[in-house]
Amino acid sequence: MGIVLKDILKSYNGRPVLKDLTLEVNTGEFHVLLGPSGSGKTTILSIIAGLVRQDKGDVLIGDRNVSGLPPEKRGIGFVFQDYALFPHLTVFDNMAYGLRVKKVEKNKISQRLGYYLGRVGIEREKDKFPHQLSGGQKQRVALIRALVTEPKVLLMDEPMSNLDALSKETIADELKSIQQETGMTTIYVTHNQDEAVLLGDRVSVLNHGAIEQIESPDELFYHPKTEFVARFVGAKNILKASVIEIKEHEAVVLVDHEGLNQPFKLQVKKYPIFEKGKGINLCIHPEKISLNRENEAGGNNVNRVMGKIIHKTNNGKAVKVTINTGGMELHAVIPKDIFDFEIHENVWVSFAADAPHPLCGKTCRAPYARRRCLNEMRNERL
Amino acid sequence: MKGVSFDLAMSLMAGVFVSLIMLPMIALFSATSVGELVNQFRSTAVLSAVVISLETSLIVVLLALCLGIPVAYLLAMKEFRGKEILDTLVDLPVSMPPLVAGLALLILLGQNSIVGSTLSNYGISLIFSKKGIIIAQLFVSIPFLIKSTRVAFESINKNVTSASLTLGASKFYTFKNVLLPLAKNGICAGMVMTWARALGEFGATSMVAGCIPFRTETMTVAIYQDVMSGELTSSIAIALLLTVFSFTLLLTFKSRFKRQILL
Ligand SMILES: Nc1ncnc2c1ncn2[C@@H]1O[C@H](COP(=O)(O)OP(=O)(O)O)[C@@H](O)[C@H]1O
Ligand SMILES: [Mg+2]
Repeated sequence: MGIVLKDILKSYNGRPVLKDLTLEVNTGEFHVLLGPSGSGKTTILSIIAGLVRQDKGDVLIGDRNVSGLPPEKRGIGFVFQDYALFPHLTVFDNMAYGLRVKKVEKNKISQRLGYYLGRVGIEREKDKFPHQLSGGQKQRVALIRALVTEPKVLLMDEPMSNLDALSKETIADELKSIQQETGMTTIYVTHNQDEAVLLGDRVSVLNHGAIEQIESPDELFYHPKTEFVARFVGAKNILKASVIEIKEHEAVVLVDHEGLNQPFKLQVKKYPIFEKGKGINLCIHPEKISLNRENEAGGNNVNRVMGKIIHKTNNGKAVKVTINTGGMELHAVIPKDIFDFEIHENVWVSFAADAPHPLCGKTCRAPYARRRCLNEMRNERL
Repeated sequence: MKGVSFDLAMSLMAGVFVSLIMLPMIALFSATSVGELVNQFRSTAVLSAVVISLETSLIVVLLALCLGIPVAYLLAMKEFRGKEILDTLVDLPVSMPPLVAGLALLILLGQNSIVGSTLSNYGISLIFSKKGIIIAQLFVSIPFLIKSTRVAFESINKNVTSASLTLGASKFYTFKNVLLPLAKNGICAGMVMTWARALGEFGATSMVAGCIPFRTETMTVAIYQDVMSGELTSSIAIALLLTVFSFTLLLTFKSRFKRQILL
């Protein structure tokens, strides 16, 4: 069963938290709602679950308008950020809660729980109380507690934000395979872009109570369409430029970013929104930038600017570098094994013509604007 | 040096406090002999006061549960108009002198008021009866149960309640299977405090119920009456009994609390 939110408006104390939010999640989809803290993610889930009442708008689950129904009649599973296990009940009783509410027979309950307990490997914990469990174990109990009643819709609020990297990976695997087997429509809330890529069929990015972009994870990360999304997914290089020449497949733009000592030209792929003289924002993903020594040639890349390394941090597999190119800062992520530069060294910064892409500029919140953006993206791929 | 003398001054004050509490206790306990005590507890007047006190105060605890838990639930879980007023009403009996409360009840339930006369038309007389004692004790002691239960409800993670609802449980099922068990300790603490307050109640009770020996004379009222009529030994006996009661309550309460922290 799909989930539809129609023009949802919600204010707290006169301050709007969700602004005419519209969202459609398809049946069986694993949808990730990605946004910074305070952007309204929990509020959206609470409204779908009926725990919070919207000021305006409708919630549809399947074909049914559930706006007037209390939470217990909506038939959804909810996994809370803090797990919210019943502290006075054992692991087994926690997980059996929903089935007991439904007055399922005793032996059926143990049969069904036995399956899940074994599947996520917490049989030995079944008589413990929540305060005796590790974070990962609590997480599994919370998940199973929501799953055993076999809801058609599963809502998860930052379920992995309190876990270490290792438990995250295994739980993510379990989660994804369970979701695929059951075909539950799932909305998964997170502020972590890695989780979004790992799990999502589609990702929507939330900014101050409005959805900026809905897309598959790959599109979102390599082709963010608004400045907010670009910054949020770590595509930090946003260059202000204007189009000065349009050719058959390519265009020439002049980068005149503020702070830049001298504007410079770039050759970029042609996009439908380009018009001669028009100002645009170009986004370059840090992974698409290469660096070369001052005395070396710039590889095969058509675009080259000279810059100075002003900052570098090492995070395991890659090195994050900040380069000052004539007053403007560019960020690059270089695989560690090919990085051999020093800080303050002068380097050539280079990238291909298809590395930069324009940010549409508009937020893609209105359905029409979204379609327009999508079409542009589609044209570009053809 | 300065630090040491400061701590010394603090300790001196604490010493005064300890004397303030301990000396009267010692005086009370040394004012009588065991033989005399045994004698007193054989007297029907003393026994009847003990029975009346226990009977009324236990009924008060039960009534306080029935009325107090819903009020605490509303105050802790709901937003509604008039919540401030309800909240203030809970504080009122605590800040009001019990004598004043007793007087108010006396006027309300007396023959001259509409309520009192209506009730008496149906043959129900609340003043100068055990029912009157119960009402007076309930009035002054129910806030303790409400406050303690309210805090217990408020300290329950909201998401835990929500989790129960999303698992399909009705509000009543959630109340019975999640809220009550989780608030259990707070409710018990409230019951103990309410009981202690009801047992020790004097002002309102004596106003509403008077002091009819064998009928409305509770332990506290008996202590007062006996002192006034010069029968110091029997009042000391009852006073000792009350002190032992409250000590026991205090200790059971404390040990419960300790175990809870260990868990
Ligand atoms: N019960 C509430 N009362 C007042 N403001 C609230 C309440 N719940 C959430 N908010 C506000 O709404 C905004 C969105 O909150 P939330 O949905 O929890 O964001 P997120 O889950 O994305 O961090 C925040 O600014 C938060 O302060
Ligand atoms: Mg949140």
